[in-house]
Amino acid sequence: MRKRKPWQTTLLYLFVFVVAIVIIYPYFVMFTTAAKTDAEMYSANMTILPLEWQWSNFINAWKAAPVFRYFLNSLLVAGGATLVAIICGIPAAYAMARMRFKGKGFFLGAVIMSQMFSPVVLLVGIYRLMTDMHLANSLVGLILLNAAFNQAFAIWLLRGTFLTISSEMEQAAKIDGCGTIQALIRVLLPVSAPGIVTALIFVFINAWNEYTIALTLISDDIMKPITVGINVFYGYNFIQWQYLFATSLFATIPVIILFLCIEKHLVAGLTSGGVKG
Amino acid sequence: MKKVLALMLAMAMALSLAACGGGGDNPPPADNPPATTPAGTPSDSTPPSDPAPSGDKINLNVIISQYGNYTQEWWPTFEKDFEDTYSNIDLNIEIVSWNDLYTVVSTRIGTDQAPDILNIDTFADYVADDLLVPAEEYTSDELKAKLIPSFWSANELDGTVWALPILASCRALFCNMDLLNEAGVTAPPKTWDEVDAACQAIKDKFGGSIVPWGLDISQDEGQAAFSYYTWNNGGGFVDEKGDWALNSEANVEAMNYIKSLIDNGYCNANPYTDTRYPLQDAFNAGSQAMMIGACNMMSADSEVNYVVADLPTQTGTPVAMGVCDRLMVFDSSVTASKNSDEAARLDAVSKFFDFFYDTNRYSEYMVFEGFLPVTTDSSELLSKSADQFAVGGTGAPGDSEYFANFSSILLSCDFYPSSRSEWIDVKQGVIEAEQRICQGEDAQAVLDEIQARVAG
Amino acid sequence: MAKQPKPPVTIRRRLRGAEPYLWMLPSMLLMAVMILIPIFTVFRYSVSEISRSGRIKGFNGLENFKDVVSSPNFWHTLTNTLVWTVVVVGFSTVIGFVLALVLNQKFPGRKLIRALVIFPWATSLIIQAVIWKYIINADYGSLNVILTKLGLIDHFINWTSTAEAFFAWECWVGIFVTVPFVTFCVLSGLQSIDSSYYEAAEIDGATFWNKMFKVTLPLVRPSLTVSTVLNIIYVFNSFPIIWTISKGDPADKTHTLVTYLYKLSFTNNRAGQAAAVSVIGFVILAICASIYMIMSLRGEEADQ
Repeated sequence: MRKRKPWQTTLLYLFVFVVAIVIIYPYFVMFTTAAKTDAEMYSANMTILPLEWQWSNFINAWKAAPVFRYFLNSLLVAGGATLVAIICGIPAAYAMARMRFKGKGFFLGAVIMSQMFSPVVLLVGIYRLMTDMHLANSLVGLILLNAAFNQAFAIWLLRGTFLTISSEMEQAAKIDGCGTIQALIRVLLPVSAPGIVTALIFVFINAWNEYTIALTLISDDIMKPITVGINVFYGYNFIQWQYLFATSLFATIPVIILFLCIEKHLVAGLTSGGVKG
Repeated sequence: MKKVLALMLAMAMALSLAACGGGGDNPPPADNPPATTPAGTPSDSTPPSDPAPSGDKINLNVIISQYGNYTQEWWPTFEKDFEDTYSNIDLNIEIVSWNDLYTVVSTRIGTDQAPDILNIDTFADYVADDLLVPAEEYTSDELKAKLIPSFWSANELDGTVWALPILASCRALFCNMDLLNEAGVTAPPKTWDEVDAACQAIKDKFGGSIVPWGLDISQDEGQAAFSYYTWNNGGGFVDEKGDWALNSEANVEAMNYIKSLIDNGYCNANPYTDTRYPLQDAFNAGSQAMMIGACNMMSADSEVNYVVADLPTQTGTPVAMGVCDRLMVFDSSVTASKNSDEAARLDAVSKFFDFFYDTNRYSEYMVFEGFLPVTTDSSELLSKSADQFAVGGTGAPGDSEYFANFSSILLSCDFYPSSRSEWIDVKQGVIEAEQRICQGEDAQAVLDEIQARVAG
Repeated sequence: MAKQPKPPVTIRRRLRGAEPYLWMLPSMLLMAVMILIPIFTVFRYSVSEISRSGRIKGFNGLENFKDVVSSPNFWHTLTNTLVWTVVVVGFSTVIGFVLALVLNQKFPGRKLIRALVIFPWATSLIIQAVIWKYIINADYGSLNVILTKLGLIDHFINWTSTAEAFFAWECWVGIFVTVPFVTFCVLSGLQSIDSSYYEAAEIDGATFWNKMFKVTLPLVRPSLTVSTVLNIIYVFNSFPIIWTISKGDPADKTHTLVTYLYKLSFTNNRAGQAAAVSVIGFVILAICASIYMIMSLRGEEADQ
């Protein structure tokens, strides 16, 4: 690596510092607010930190609603959707990156077009479809929908990754007697690990954070994912900010942990040295 | 390329059809064919043709709106008690927050998945589409006899009653007397001039740290603000003949008064988006001096020294506002439950209502949520001995004085003309008008435009 | 297929021809069922009379479209949507790209910062919108409190005194949540660039900007294309931020097409008009995306 000049290092750290502050700020507010008492929330003399740390809020939030169950549902939906999206997405992206066929442009276009209606716009249509398929109020329905709405993501990302990788290695493998599928699994996929991991994260996070579809589709309290579940803290008479923020923090943690775990693999995939332009 | 496309589409269709068909194996019992065999009456000679998992049970789907933070704790007990009492009825109660209620309900109705019983505020749109069952068909004589007559008839449209009142609340002026006294104001303001004076005194005394007057003209309940100010200026939604009269002179004055409250810096910073919930919280925490709010807006642990007063008025006679929500029953052609025997379903619905409005159970729910009862027996009971029931969340005993006071105020309240078919347009129209006027547009012109849009 | 005994030549050729389509089948099927069918429903709604309670009453031609375009709110909303998309995607792409370059450097604490950058994206949009709404609240919001305590302001400022100010904050939240996406797209592109390229460039005496335009940009272009195209679509269709913070108010001045049609559909009970708005939005996006794709595909072919 090339050496940086001192001013470059200073600028880099300043930039990183500002970014860090801006990103942490809302979480800091969430955390401190979650620990405030009711009276302090709207008090005339507001303070930055709670005068009296109400740690019990973090525990009571779990009791006030089936938060654990919501978590489990979110995990199932996000995990399932990620699996389905990637399993469907890899072959499609492979075909679009490596094969020449009639209508390729059309399919690429169709993939992008498919994302042009946001789920919000399609709510009624989605609900109707799901009731016809008897998948309304079921996690399977949510999984399939999230997978579908993340296909464009997955395909474009994977195709982009595959395109940056030369097909020479696969061709060599084919000459050695591998079939296309084997060449894909044995040669291309390991090398594309960073791209695949990124796609995995993208889909997982999107599905974890999805709100509108789950809101309309799921009617059973025990089937709600966390994004919809925390709505119980938005009552008719009072908003329980503390519980809302406490649960929101909890909801963020698994995603971050997941990312931190995967990042190691991402780096490992890179250092394996298979990626050559 | 076209051939390939066609092939793809055909395959997709075939597979999607297969998927649709395959779904039929899934557990929901909703896909029983609309069999001609009457279910729910085991003594009947013809056995059910379809051995569905639900047997001959009646399914009732109920959507209850979320009234408080603890609504979801009360209803499961109700559901269990009800099912224990009526073993042939499978009750499925869903609690939906007001934030999502309209979205959920309209999606369900659009797809023939309506609940059997719905708890919401308006019903005229459903009547227009013939989706509701008239209340006479499921209201037992005993229930009808104990409902407060004005609440029963308030749900009438074209000569038919379409819904039952579930609960009511009324609005009043809440004043933080410690703050007012400190600013030199000794009594709650009675007129708009007095409101201005009190707000100015608070503003002078406390600077920016106390909001003098809480105002909500948001989409959440902007129509309430419209009512508070127009009704107490001799205006309102309709004229004496009952025709829409949104652009009356009194209304224009009222709108300009709301604008002056904002322009003078008396209000919370964002009345366009602040719903009454943060305003209530601010009042409870003592950082807001006055607001017009619902009777049950004070939380049990608030330390604010407050008084409840009449709404400020320009006409000499304060008009209080009442709000009443409803329970309605959907026609079986659009419900998700798909019970084959309509008579049995209505009988189950009827049982549900009798069970719910049972003096003790209904009184318990009213104390739990802090709302006012709409039945005479519960009104009487709660006015005397509300303390035998517990408030939701805190578990504190109910306050009989609260129920006695507000239940009597409730009887003199005015209500929104929400049983009319134009109501949604009117409601959205006046909220839009308030916001545009407070943003600087001419009040008369805006109200004329809304009036023309509503009255055609 | 490869392991089966070899079939006659013509069938094999046919199979070869169909092979790419077979590879794409699961994905296409998933999208066709889950997205295409609801899209069809929306198109049907847009040309139907829908009653206020949400029931289809019959075909009514272009009536819904006429009602939509005759409303001044619609045109204001359309302008807003354009501003919203351009501002949010533009700023996010620039900031995200710079951030990715920085995070691709080696410096102590890099891992920590990388983990931090994922935060805004790991948090649900609803939650972020709620927290930012809470932060910028003029009466009890955290921003005013912090600035006052730091002595930067002496009285609480109304951050959202006008519709424009509201909208600017919403754009900020949009940028805040979109940057991580761009950063990680670009980062994944950057990381697959072999350092030998840079070494070669340095031997040739390339400056920082030379390297940026000759090595970095061309090589991360696929990633940047993906992130920009997808962002345009996601931001254009973004719902929770604006709906949570302002619901399109004051006076319907901060809507984008999606919040506008949501309000039409679920608050004003005009599902037919709402469907018409979504069809209009679809057409706009389709035109933009086609132009972009034609250009980028041409670029790719030229590269090959």
